[in-house]
Amino acid sequence: MHEPDIHDLSDDADYAAASKQGSSSMSRTDSSKRSSSSDPEDAEIVYLKDNVTIHPTQYATERISGRLKLIKQGSSLFMTWIPYKGQSSNARLSERDKNLYTIRAIPFSDIQSIRRHTPTIGWQYVIVVLSSGLAYPPLYFYSGGVREFLATIKQHVLIARSSEDANVFLVNNFQDPLQRTLSSLELPRSLAKGSPSSSFKGTPSDERLDKGTLEDNQLSNNIQQNNRQRQKNHDPARDISIQVLEKFSLVTRFARETTSQLFRESLVDGHGPAEKRRNNWASKDHQRQEIASNDVDDDVPKRVPVASDPLEFEKLSLVWGQPRQHPLGLEEWSTFLDSEGRVGDPNALKKRIFYGGVEHNLRKEVWGFLLGYYSYDSTYAERQYVVSVKKSEYETIKNQWQSISPEQAKRFTKFRERRGLIEKDVVRTDRSLSFYDGDDNPNVRLMHDILLTYSFYNFDLGYCQGMSDLLSPILFIMKDESEAFWCFVSLLERLGPNFNRDQNGMHSQLFALSKLVELLDAPLHNYFKQNDCLNYFFCFRWILIQFKREFEYEKTLRLWEVLWTHYPTEHLHLYVCIAILKRHRVKIMGEQMDFDTLLKFINELSGQIDLDPVLRDAEALCVCAGENGAASIPPGTPPSLPLQDGSIYQQQDDEVL
Amino acid sequence: MPSRRRTLLKVIILGDSGVGKTSLMNQYVNKKFSNQYKATIGADFLTKEVEFEDRLFTLQIWDTAGQERFQSLGVAFYRGADCCVLVYDVNVQKSFDDLNNWREEFLIQASPSDPENFPFVVLGNKVDVDGGNSRVVSEKKARAWCASKGNIPYFETSAKEGINVEEAFQVIAKNALKSGEEEEIYLPDTIDVGSTSQQRASGCDC
Repeated sequence: MHEPDIHDLSDDADYAAASKQGSSSMSRTDSSKRSSSSDPEDAEIVYLKDNVTIHPTQYATERISGRLKLIKQGSSLFMTWIPYKGQSSNARLSERDKNLYTIRAIPFSDIQSIRRHTPTIGWQYVIVVLSSGLAYPPLYFYSGGVREFLATIKQHVLIARSSEDANVFLVNNFQDPLQRTLSSLELPRSLAKGSPSSSFKGTPSDERLDKGTLEDNQLSNNIQQNNRQRQKNHDPARDISIQVLEKFSLVTRFARETTSQLFRESLVDGHGPAEKRRNNWASKDHQRQEIASNDVDDDVPKRVPVASDPLEFEKLSLVWGQPRQHPLGLEEWSTFLDSEGRVGDPNALKKRIFYGGVEHNLRKEVWGFLLGYYSYDSTYAERQYVVSVKKSEYETIKNQWQSISPEQAKRFTKFRERRGLIEKDVVRTDRSLSFYDGDDNPNVRLMHDILLTYSFYNFDLGYCQGMSDLLSPILFIMKDESEAFWCFVSLLERLGPNFNRDQNGMHSQLFALSKLVELLDAPLHNYFKQNDCLNYFFCFRWILIQFKREFEYEKTLRLWEVLWTHYPTEHLHLYVCIAILKRHRVKIMGEQMDFDTLLKFINELSGQIDLDPVLRDAEALCVCAGENGAASIPPGTPPSLPLQDGSIYQQQDDEVL
Repeated sequence: MPSRRRTLLKVIILGDSGVGKTSLMNQYVNKKFSNQYKATIGADFLTKEVEFEDRLFTLQIWDTAGQERFQSLGVAFYRGADCCVLVYDVNVQKSFDDLNNWREEFLIQASPSDPENFPFVVLGNKVDVDGGNSRVVSEKKARAWCASKGNIPYFETSAKEGINVEEAFQVIAKNALKSGEEEEIYLPDTIDVGSTSQQRASGCDC
């Protein structure tokens, strides 16, 4: 949840002011003077936390920091969150915006639940859901204190953990826990996304905001009215979140009833009864082939008996996944094209490539389709036209930075820093490959130019480490600067969120991965859970750059073209992760690896992974997981295209993470 | 846990992208330098056995990605650190200016029990470059900064030439050990757990 580079931080008035606030408010008494003077006299502040911040957008400059308080008045508990004054240097964040987000003495009787998020990666935050079903945007606790916050509430208000989700705390009323859990997944941003409602008008300053808040519940009433209106309108985003949750509960049930049950049986009998198997695995009709879940590390002494793989008992009868085929060659390729060069049946083509990849000399042409640079129904002539139009478009964008004079660059810190980062990284990307080796290699220069141009094409995302790893094979195949650029652009349409400042894209993938392992290998999941490894951070590099550092170059090219077919799923890479983990599950659990050891072990697998069997396993696991697998992956999880057009880098997954 | 603490010393290396974090770690552990390191993605660590006052310790040295965008991931790695090494490139002003951010970010994310006294060591790396002619941060300036932050030990290093690397890590190990031992006083066997270790045990779970 941070900014791309340090310059941004120093630039950021909110951050700077927040740090200042933070240090001065260490002594609570003096920092609370101002606000306590405006609190009603008989009210008592029972909790106060500075640097509690909302992120209306992903940009650091558009964060709003403020002070969170719990106020006890009589027998009622109220929550307030007041933004700090006068920090916003950003024109896009007006005082009005601050007013919009300000929480003025919401009584706990109006709060339905509080959802706690304590990711291992990033700041902890809570989402407060009102009885009306509306939720405030996530409140990020920059200086910690979530636990204390909840503990304080517990002292004054009846709260209980939801039986469905230990991170959901139900307030006041526990009649219908499932219902409440459902609503706790309400879009946290619905307030932000809604039209700046009239109910928030007319409160010009923070001073005013703080005043008379307790006796005036009008605002929260307004909020609720506003909510009801909103609920009447069909809010697709809201529906999505509920669907997701419903799917998750399905997953949980599935995992409980199927996987763990089978696991238990296999512990007792060694093998589960075949009938059961057929009933439980929905996708029994698929071709089956042995899942190579045998451990490949047989020579390692096993210290601990390891729970058996819930899928392993199926081994004898399993014939999943088709054997890998030879790569698509020129002759066969021509059968996919009509006389003018259109691909008649894109799905057949994708399926073919999924099972065999593409011969090297065809890659330049075929990758263009797979990545979306060419459309499948384009003719030879149309593609030629696209290439020339895109070329001049590329030159135009490139010219934007090329025309920056040295004098201008002196006054353009962000440009210099971005360029500096790219310069540092291109000279350490695949330099052992002859295509990129040697001093003054022109291809290294091309990589530099493309990345810098991309950082202008997508200035918001900019440049991030890992991008050079993604570009390198594309340039290697496309050879042409402009074509490589546009293919890279297409790839980042899907993978861009991997590099988001708040790491949201990575969050959602690691989260989905953990759900899938829970579904497909409950014992391994439980092992990770017990050993504090559920953040799946040891798979970070795999996912961020699509296994680029794990395979030799040629194998990476093969893997990528297979992944890009999006057959049988857009998220095959997650199943690839699981396939690799499963191959080493006995070693991981048998040697009782802790997080550090596991991370080291995974890092050292680089160059040791056999691609073809892993791909077969991944396909088998995907088929095996079926719809439950698909339901474990939140909508919009990369490499799925973002849910909404025009807001590619907006966060989408907060409500499920 | 206490017995593990006694032998394992965890060190985190932080600093801007390209200042030489991976190189320093490899020079110290493997006595090797390569021009071809890749940008670190995620995190990795190397271990080295060190002997100190007749006891054997395992120094676990964590190398992390230098781009600030990945900084928030630190929570997963910084926990339980015994010493933090801040690296900058003496030829790059910004990498020096950023030391303060790295230090503060580390303290926030690792939330050590006693932030005031948590051991840092600062390394000004790449002193070999261009015979020192391209240098922009003077030793004096760097030492002044270190002094202002509670007398942080400072070394001028070259991972490439192996200059001062061994010496620096000796001090790093020593300080890590010191901080580890202070923790230990509260940890073993007693039921009445001191507040310091309690905080420590809870990590950044606050």
